[in-house]
Amino acid sequence: MKVKPVNHAKAAEEFLEDAPHLTFHDERLWDMRQKRDQQMHLLPEWQDLRTRASEIKEHTLANLPEYLEQFEANAKKNGIHVHWAADGAEHNRIVGEILEKHGAKSLIKSKSMVTEECDMRAYLEPRGVTVTETDLGERIQQLDDQLPSHIVVPAVHKLVPDVAKIFAKNYHTDPNDNDPQSLAEAQRMAARPVILTADAGMTGGNFLVAETGTFVVCTNEGNADLSSTVPNLHIATLGIERLVPRMADLGVFVRLLSRSALGSPITQYTTHFRGPQKGGEMHIVLVDNGRSTRLGMEEFWTSLKCIRCGACMNTCPVYRRSGGLSYGAVYSGPIGAIIDPTFNERKYSTLPFASTMNGSCTNVCPVKINIHEQLYKWRRVLAEHHELPFVKREIMHMAGKLMGQPKLYRTAINGTEVALSTMPRFVLYNWLNPWGKHRELPHPVKQTFHSWYKQNRLKKDKAQ
Amino acid sequence: MSSRDTILATLRANRPDPAAHPLPPVAMLGDMDKGRDRFENSLQILGGQILMPQEGDTLATAIARRFPDAKVICSAVPDFEGTIRIEEIESPQQAAATDVLVVRSPFGIAEMGSIYLSEAQLNNLNSAAHLTQHIVVILSEENLTANMHTAYLERPEFHTANYGVLMSGPSATADIQGVLIRGAQGVRSLSIWWE
Repeated sequence: MKVKPVNHAKAAEEFLEDAPHLTFHDERLWDMRQKRDQQMHLLPEWQDLRTRASEIKEHTLANLPEYLEQFEANAKKNGIHVHWAADGAEHNRIVGEILEKHGAKSLIKSKSMVTEECDMRAYLEPRGVTVTETDLGERIQQLDDQLPSHIVVPAVHKLVPDVAKIFAKNYHTDPNDNDPQSLAEAQRMAARPVILTADAGMTGGNFLVAETGTFVVCTNEGNADLSSTVPNLHIATLGIERLVPRMADLGVFVRLLSRSALGSPITQYTTHFRGPQKGGEMHIVLVDNGRSTRLGMEEFWTSLKCIRCGACMNTCPVYRRSGGLSYGAVYSGPIGAIIDPTFNERKYSTLPFASTMNGSCTNVCPVKINIHEQLYKWRRVLAEHHELPFVKREIMHMAGKLMGQPKLYRTAINGTEVALSTMPRFVLYNWLNPWGKHRELPHPVKQTFHSWYKQNRLKKDKAQ
Repeated sequence: MSSRDTILATLRANRPDPAAHPLPPVAMLGDMDKGRDRFENSLQILGGQILMPQEGDTLATAIARRFPDAKVICSAVPDFEGTIRIEEIESPQQAAATDVLVVRSPFGIAEMGSIYLSEAQLNNLNSAAHLTQHIVVILSEENLTANMHTAYLERPEFHTANYGVLMSGPSATADIQGVLIRGAQGVRSLSIWWE
C-alpha cells in the first residue's frame, strides 16, 4: 500500500477550532521568541557567535568520518562502550540487548528526539521493559500517548486542565487541580520512587566532543542527571551529526542554545559525560538513520547543522497556529518540514508547503541554516518527483500557463473583479480554493495597475 | 560490513569538500568581566540565591537559619560537619534522604552564574547533587571565570573529570502552560556561600 501524505492543513484546521488552546499556544511561543530577542540584544557579539557556530558545524560535517573516529577512540579510552546504529531498528536492538544483558526491566530516561525517531518505547515495552520518561513535558506526552509537539517544550499545546486530567488518571491527583506548581510537584513525587528503583538510565545528548570523547547534555529539570547518576547503567543515544571538534568550541554553542530556545542564558544543567561513574557502566549509541545520506544532498545537507533549539518553531506563524502535532512527524515546525521529507518523501510531501516563506526561521537560526530557502527547494524537488497533491498541482499548472502569457493573464485578472463581486459564495469558498478557508478573499480592485497605466501614462509617454 | 564501516563509508562518499570548510580559530568573544557582581546578577536570573552571612555567622549557623526544618545535612567538605558525611553514604540511591548537601565548587562562571561540580567534589557520589532537596555551594571569588569561552579554555576539569555538571540555579520547568516553577526534579534551591 502506498503511504498517504500527512494532511497538515486538515489537522491544522482542527487545531484552529479550539480558541483557548490556539491563543495560548500562539502567545506562549511568541513570548519565547521575544525572550530570545532580549538575550540577543544583550550580546553585541551575537552575530559573530552565529557565524562561528555555522562555520564550526560545516567544518565538522565536511570532516565527519574523521571526527567520529576520533570521538570513538577517545570515548573508548575513557571506558565508554561505543555502538553504531545504521537505523532506528538497529538502535532499538542494541539498547534492548544491553538491557537484557543486565536483566534491566525498568528504564528511566530523559528527553531524546533520536529515541522518538527510532520509536524506541514501542520496541522495548513488549519486551518487558518499562520505560518512564522523566522530563515533565515528555512524561505528559507519554501518558497521553502522543508524540512531543515541540522539540524543547513537548506539551506546549496543552493547558493546565489537560495536564490535571492526565495526572488524575495516572497519578490519582485531583482532576480539577488548577495549580501548575502542585501538578509539577505531583510529577516529582511520582517520579522519585521510579528513579530510585530503576535498573538503567538513558539520556539523549546535545553535543559530542571529538577531542575528549565527551558528550554533553543540556537540561533544566535535573531529570537527565538523576537518570544518569542514580542507576549504575547509563545509555546515551545521539545522532552522528552532534559533533564538535574541540572542547573549547562548546563555548559558542552553549552560549547560543538556551538563549535561542527559551530566552534563558543557559540551561539549569549543562552536564559533561567523559566516562562512567565509579562502579558504573556507560554506553553510547551513535545513530545514523538517514543522516549520512542527507549529507550527500547538495541543497539540504546544511540542515544537519541543527542544534535542536526550536527557535524556528517559536517564530513560525504557521507552526504557532497549527501546533506541532499537525505535522504528523517526530520533527515539526520549519526544521521538521525540511528534514522530515528525507525520512519519507511521500509521507511528508505536504510539510514544505506549511510556510509563508517569510524567512523568519532563517533569521533566528543560531547556526544559520537557510531554512526558508530549503523549504522552497523542497517544493521544487517534490514537484519534480510528482509528490504534489492534485489541487496544488493543477492550480500551479494553470497559474504557470496564465503567467507565461501576458494577454491571457490580463484578461483573467480583469475577470476576477467581476468574479469576486458577482459569483455566489459557494463557487469562491470551496475545497478547490484553500485561500477561502478561515479568511475572506480580498476586495476586488476597481482597476488593475496595467489598465490604469494604459489609461493615464502610456499615452503621455508616447506623446513626449 | 559492520554498520560502523557502512556509515563511515557513506559519509566519506557524500561529504562536502573539506577544503571548502576550514575550522575557524577558537572563539574568545564577549564580556570578560569576572567580577562577583556579574556572577551574582546572573545567578539571580537563573533562580539561584546567595546565603548571606549575618554578624557572627558561621556556615553552620547560616544553614540552620536558612533551613530550619532540615534533618539530614550532608557534608562533602572537610571544614563543615553536617549531620552526615558524604563518605558514609553507601549507594547512589541512599543520597535521597538528604535535605541539604554542602559542597565546594572549584569554579564559577560570571556570565551564567553557573557553578561546576564533578566526582572529585562529590566523593564519586554524583547522585548526591541531584537527589538532595537543597544544595549549598561554597565558592571563592578568586575562582570565577568570565564566560563560557574562558571556562572551556582555562579549566582543566573539562578534560579530566568523568562527570562534570554546570549547575545554574536550581532545577526548573515551564512545561505546564508556560508557568516557571523552580524546584522541578532536581534540587529545589541552590545557594552560594562565599568564602
